Amino acid sequence: MKTSALERGANYVILIVFALIVLGPVGVIFTLAVGPQSASVAREGRTFHWENFVEAWEVGRFSQYMLTSVTVALLVVVIAVSASILAGYALGTMNFRGSTFFFYLFLLGIMVPTEAFIVPLYFDMRSIGLTNTVWGVAFPQIAMSIAFGTYWMRTYFRSSSRAMIEAARLDGAGSMRVLWYILVPIGRPAILTLVLLTFMWTWNEFLIPLVMSPNGSVRTAPLGLAFFQGQYTQGTALLAAGAILVALPVVVLYIFLQRHFIKGMLEGAVRE
Amino acid sequence: MKRNTRLASMAIGSAALLLGLAACAPGTGQGDDAPESDGPISTDISGVGETTLTVWDQEVRGGQNEQIEQLNAAFEEKYPNVTIDRVSQAFDDLNTTLRLALTDTDAPDVVQANNGRNTMGAFVEAGQLRALDDYADAYGWTDRYTESILQYSTYSEDAAVFGDGNLYGLPQVGEVVGVFYSKSKLSELGLDVPADWSEFDDALATAKSAGETPMLLGNIEQWPALHVFGPLQAGYVDAEEITNLGLGNSGASWATPENVEAASAMQSWVDSGYFNSGANGTDYDAAWQSLAAGDGVFLIGGSWLAADLADAMGDDLGFFVPAIGDGSLATTGGTGLPFTITSAAENTDVAAAYIDFITSDSAMEIIAETGNLPVNRTAELAPTSGVLADVYSAFGEVTENGSLLPYLDYATPTFGETLGQSLQDLLDGRVTPEEFTEALEADYADFVESNE
Amino acid sequence: MSSAVKTDRSATARSGRLTRPWVPFAYLAPALLLYGLFLLVPLGRAAQFSFFEWDGLGASTFVGLDNYVAIVQDEQLREAFWHALVLIFFYAVLPLIIGLVLAAILTRANVRGMGFFRTIIFLPQVIAMVVVAVIWRQIYAPDGPLNGLLRLVGLDSLTTAWLGDYTWTLPAVGLIGTWVSTGLVTVLLMAGMAKVPRDLYEAARLDGAGAVREFFSITLPSVRGEITVALTLTIVAALKTFDLVYVTTRGGPGTSTTVPSYEVYRRAFELGEVGAAAAVGIVLTIIVFSINAVVNRIGEKK
Repeated sequence: MKTSALERGANYVILIVFALIVLGPVGVIFTLAVGPQSASVAREGRTFHWENFVEAWEVGRFSQYMLTSVTVALLVVVIAVSASILAGYALGTMNFRGSTFFFYLFLLGIMVPTEAFIVPLYFDMRSIGLTNTVWGVAFPQIAMSIAFGTYWMRTYFRSSSRAMIEAARLDGAGSMRVLWYILVPIGRPAILTLVLLTFMWTWNEFLIPLVMSPNGSVRTAPLGLAFFQGQYTQGTALLAAGAILVALPVVVLYIFLQRHFIKGMLEGAVRE
Repeated sequence: MKRNTRLASMAIGSAALLLGLAACAPGTGQGDDAPESDGPISTDISGVGETTLTVWDQEVRGGQNEQIEQLNAAFEEKYPNVTIDRVSQAFDDLNTTLRLALTDTDAPDVVQANNGRNTMGAFVEAGQLRALDDYADAYGWTDRYTESILQYSTYSEDAAVFGDGNLYGLPQVGEVVGVFYSKSKLSELGLDVPADWSEFDDALATAKSAGETPMLLGNIEQWPALHVFGPLQAGYVDAEEITNLGLGNSGASWATPENVEAASAMQSWVDSGYFNSGANGTDYDAAWQSLAAGDGVFLIGGSWLAADLADAMGDDLGFFVPAIGDGSLATTGGTGLPFTITSAAENTDVAAAYIDFITSDSAMEIIAETGNLPVNRTAELAPTSGVLADVYSAFGEVTENGSLLPYLDYATPTFGETLGQSLQDLLDGRVTPEEFTEALEADYADFVESNE
Repeated sequence: MSSAVKTDRSATARSGRLTRPWVPFAYLAPALLLYGLFLLVPLGRAAQFSFFEWDGLGASTFVGLDNYVAIVQDEQLREAFWHALVLIFFYAVLPLIIGLVLAAILTRANVRGMGFFRTIIFLPQVIAMVVVAVIWRQIYAPDGPLNGLLRLVGLDSLTTAWLGDYTWTLPAVGLIGTWVSTGLVTVLLMAGMAKVPRDLYEAARLDGAGAVREFFSITLPSVRGEITVALTLTIVAALKTFDLVYVTTRGGPGTSTTVPSYEVYRRAFELGEVGAAAAVGIVLTIIVFSINAVVNRIGEKK
């Protein structure tokens, strides 16, 4: 399509302006993070204070919080993705009574806000002694991820080649064999996307770990950051450095695997 | 057809399952925390096995953090069998998480709980804190502390009465709210340290006309303005009346001309442009950092800021409490948050030994050395110079010859929120002083009535 | 025998009518168990809790619909729901308008560097909301970068304490949502517009249609589906705002930025009004579902 040079130039201006609006706040936090953390440090006169990251890591106990975050994220990703593959396989390739019902049942979970069920969940988890454990923080997120994951995997399995499944089955392969040896290997991109999204949502989650670990023993990185904000009273440099540390793992994954993130978040949303 | 019935039956089935699982009403089956029978207590904990003591505190500021770290280390050294698991968080975060933490099965052993009815009072009422009277006898805490200090950690067992009954906690530090100022700014403006409220008003006006920001306030958290209003109110309202209002005991009223006058005075400071612009949107910590950076003249705040401020400003920092009409000193203050033992504490002997240790006479020395205001032995530990000398003498003067008034948010379970929101409204000019006091009276009167 | 053949044929035709009917359920079981126990059951319990008055500590009292009546009567709760509606404007409507214009302009002309641009504007979606909140709290500080920028360009009169001003704090919090959502919406719409056949535009141009008419008669109708999706996603995000308010304002100044999800947390875990909190959660869920239904209905109709 032909467009004038003027329009093209205007487009570049718009692109740059919007990119700056997005990147501006990121730049602000980065500038703060490498700035001097106190007046006495400022007198030394260096421009970049990279030591802020090390200090924030130690003062904010981020090594501990990051470890918790990684543990919780691993549990959620492994369990939720496995369960979603199995359930999506059943809903996507098998015809059975109630399959529509179950599909809508899972779909319901995508929309239910956490706030709706977190209150009774906390009190019930407390009475069975699951609060303040990694499982207490992981289980609700596993349930939420399964709702989306089952929906996502069902979509993938429905689009997978029927002919291939039939052929394998005629060769005498059981349904489990078909799943693990044919569908899962071909479906690696779809599964990778699901893994990444589940990881990101779990890493970034705030309300569930806040409520499920009232004594702070299972504090994840975003929670650690929120508490660091009130705890560290001397200035903003270390807080900014901590914020970057918390965001970094997901942002790095995003930069390298951005197609998966964007595709997942766009297509995952497109309901039938 | 067949398919539909099947679907429907399945839906009904799962609904029934849900209900079945949910059959028990909330609050049942939690196993009412039966009060553990208090066995014989002991003050010797060297014999207990490997124990972890979980302590929640809010000692996050420079000097506070330093003293508690030193004391924790000393305690662990003295009792190698005890490991302290310290969870520290800001005042705001402690307030939002403590309720949840205490009701949890895995509650911390020792927590710092704010004295007021919304915190300590609520926990006492719910039976979540252990009364400490037996330990107080064993350790002699009543000799260590004066009665006027301990009353702020004392409640009746049903928490209806505040200030009388069982003892629930011990504070480490004293607190007094006053005015921090920059000495060099003051001499630039040709001003002496204001002696009373009218001189303070004049000083604010002088600073304003000289183009300075007279007073710094960071009130995004809502509670900092309480510490401005408290001392100011003392200049207008009788001390006994304020104490009744502050403790939520009956027989006082917010809707009086004196309270309206105090509120008007506060609002007139806003109207005269004495505060930094956007005080309601400024972080509490950003405000004192501004004073340290030389962006203002005065800051009304608590003695807990002294260590951080002195660190940044050195000898330029001063502190005073303006005198009220009769020449005496009256201001908000009292003690730091008391350390309490939860009902869920696994080993109350260890917890009590910890509290005893961090409030002992030698602990007071460490508290003083790290730039804090110890609640006991204040006079003998007073430094000779610097802002801390000002703080110590103000605290001594107020407690001995003046009136140390309770924090106003102690009053009712909701008063912190009501007063915080109302003060933001007042500072913003959204309410008149009359409307301000009426809102407070409504909360106070409601509570007093329900408590009778 | 003939029946066996028949079964077989239908299996081929419908791909996988199974001889062992329990097999699909075996595959469903783990997911269903976890999902049921930790999401569906608590949801049912929330509905049940909402009929009780309970402080989270002692015994509970059945109060029927009182908690729901209170939602209508309690001024602070009504206010919270109103704030949520305002946030929907900033999270959903504003990004949609910006996204439509942006996507339409960018789709008309093929500019280089689109991939890079897409990566950047989508970035806020992957940053934890807590981090976003920490960043913006710094930006909105009275002596922060935003006011600094305004002073730099001579707009001193516009400077304010963005998070402490009764008029501006809610919009300021909302604009953070706009910052987060716009990239997602734009990328979504661009994907939709890329699918519009080029010759439709060519034909329109031959008819002498300008850019504006082209937008309204071709572009807009063809991305109806994407608009529906974008609105659903962003509206739900607006209604679920919790971390942002928790970290930036905690509902202040006064009560000017309280939102339902923050009220759920505050009431249940700080104030000890567990039943009332559950009721707010249930109402929030109903609102989320209703808005979804309405948006999807409109999306299908046109």
